[in-house]
Amino acid sequence: MGFALTASDYAQWIARAYQKIHENGDYITSLDAATGDGDHWINLNMGFEKLVSIKDALASKSLFEAFKSISMTMMSVIGGSGGVLYGSAYMEAAKAVKDLEVLDSAALCNVLAAMLDGIMKRGKSQPGMKTMIDALNPAVECYKDCIARGESEAQTLKLVKKAAEEGALSTKDMEAVRGRAYYQADRGVGHLDPGAITMFYQIETLMDYIADKMQDEA
Amino acid sequence: MKKIINNPNDVVSECLKGIELAHPELKYTPELEVISRRNPSPGKVGIVSGGGSGHEPAHAGYVGKGMLDAAVAGNMFSSPSPDRIIAGIQEASGGAGVLLVIKNYSGDIMNFEMAAEMAEMEDIQVKHVIVRDDVAVPDSTYSTGRRGIAGTVFVHKIAGAKAESGGTLDQVQAVAQKTCDNLRSMAMAMSPCTLPAVGKPGFSLGDDEIEIGMGIHGEPGVARTTIKPAKEIAQILLDKILDDYDFGGSEVALMVNGLGGTPLMELYILNNEVGQLLAAKGIKVYKTLVGNYMTAIEMTGCSLTLLKLDDELKALLDAPCDTPALKI
Repeated sequence: MGFALTASDYAQWIARAYQKIHENGDYITSLDAATGDGDHWINLNMGFEKLVSIKDALASKSLFEAFKSISMTMMSVIGGSGGVLYGSAYMEAAKAVKDLEVLDSAALCNVLAAMLDGIMKRGKSQPGMKTMIDALNPAVECYKDCIARGESEAQTLKLVKKAAEEGALSTKDMEAVRGRAYYQADRGVGHLDPGAITMFYQIETLMDYIADKMQDEA
Repeated sequence: MKKIINNPNDVVSECLKGIELAHPELKYTPELEVISRRNPSPGKVGIVSGGGSGHEPAHAGYVGKGMLDAAVAGNMFSSPSPDRIIAGIQEASGGAGVLLVIKNYSGDIMNFEMAAEMAEMEDIQVKHVIVRDDVAVPDSTYSTGRRGIAGTVFVHKIAGAKAESGGTLDQVQAVAQKTCDNLRSMAMAMSPCTLPAVGKPGFSLGDDEIEIGMGIHGEPGVARTTIKPAKEIAQILLDKILDDYDFGGSEVALMVNGLGGTPLMELYILNNEVGQLLAAKGIKVYKTLVGNYMTAIEMTGCSLTLLKLDDELKALLDAPCDTPALKI
């Protein structure tokens, strides 16, 4: 039997994602100082800190309500462009789980695809523009491939994580098309995109959380 | 940094509370950072604008009869989030729909569009116009396409007048769009501005240096040069506007806008030069606004805005309005 995630699982993952993001503050801010406004980590960290503070309330909701609540929280706490992009991701995720009580592997893949779709649509952006999409998109593509070829869930989790990491690292050679980095002489080439790295952290901690849960239940 | 503030994190809310105290006809919604009319004219189309703070009197200063029904403030130079914008839409909604006036910055567009989608789920009809009046650069740090700057105030005025006169949402949107289409601005900066939470200037300019075409958040312009006489500054800014759009033989509304740190005396000196240049080109100035209408904290510098007028726009421009920052 495969995994089945509830809102309570998502709430527990939030604590893990927050920890990962929180402890990499200096690193992310140093990446951002090279290409951006320098406030990406501060804002995202603040967003996750707030989510952690409401995690018990999230755990008791349906997936639909939990994702909606995460969306509204991210928008208002993170603010600016990042807030509304994450907000749009979770709003699309909410729509994708409207009638679901739990997420199995196929449903989780749909959720990630819906989040990707939400971010691309809201930001009018595509893969290859040196953004968080470049971590999420390869993860979604990889997830779909794994399902199509009948990969085991345990292996799928590992491969999706790896795809997200490779995607995030690939931003180093990309030219920025959006934001402040676009206006630098080198268009940010040679620097990792901080938004792609923090997106990778979230995918990484989610895949690890599910793997641990499966092991605990085995 | 020397500023009359308390905690840098409180500057937006404390500024808006100060506005509410000074103008009892306006209402402040705490946390959501909305300034709205206490007694909007019943049954009319609502007009909502907003954006990052630091551009005062924009946008809260334009709330009142004949202009905006609600203004939504983001943090300093940062778009308000959709929950705040929805609150503004709800305050402004009188059942006839709501028009959003958005300046063309990526963050503003994403947040206002998301808010519009969510308001429509609550059965409030929402339309929007996007202001792109700055002719300086084709794309910028925070925008795809031209930036929206001081000309936005004319859009507030004209959309507000049309709504006050009983126009439908479609009619208000159409005349706001016509205003956007006939609107051009160009700016120049002489010294930088300091975000309260940052504490030091966002860029630097030499003692005798100015930047032509700089944006209202300090985004790069088109050229740095040495400071010049008012006559030449007027010529440079106006040439760029007139090269971009044919105002020949028409009547215009003119705004000589200060960026926050430039004395009115200098703005009037600039207006004197602009007036002569326009007269020489056969462009008739129908109405002039001189003052700090769309600022960049304490930046020194100015922008010029021209709006080409027809009879409809003239009548709407002349219609009465009563707001903290503009009374006609």
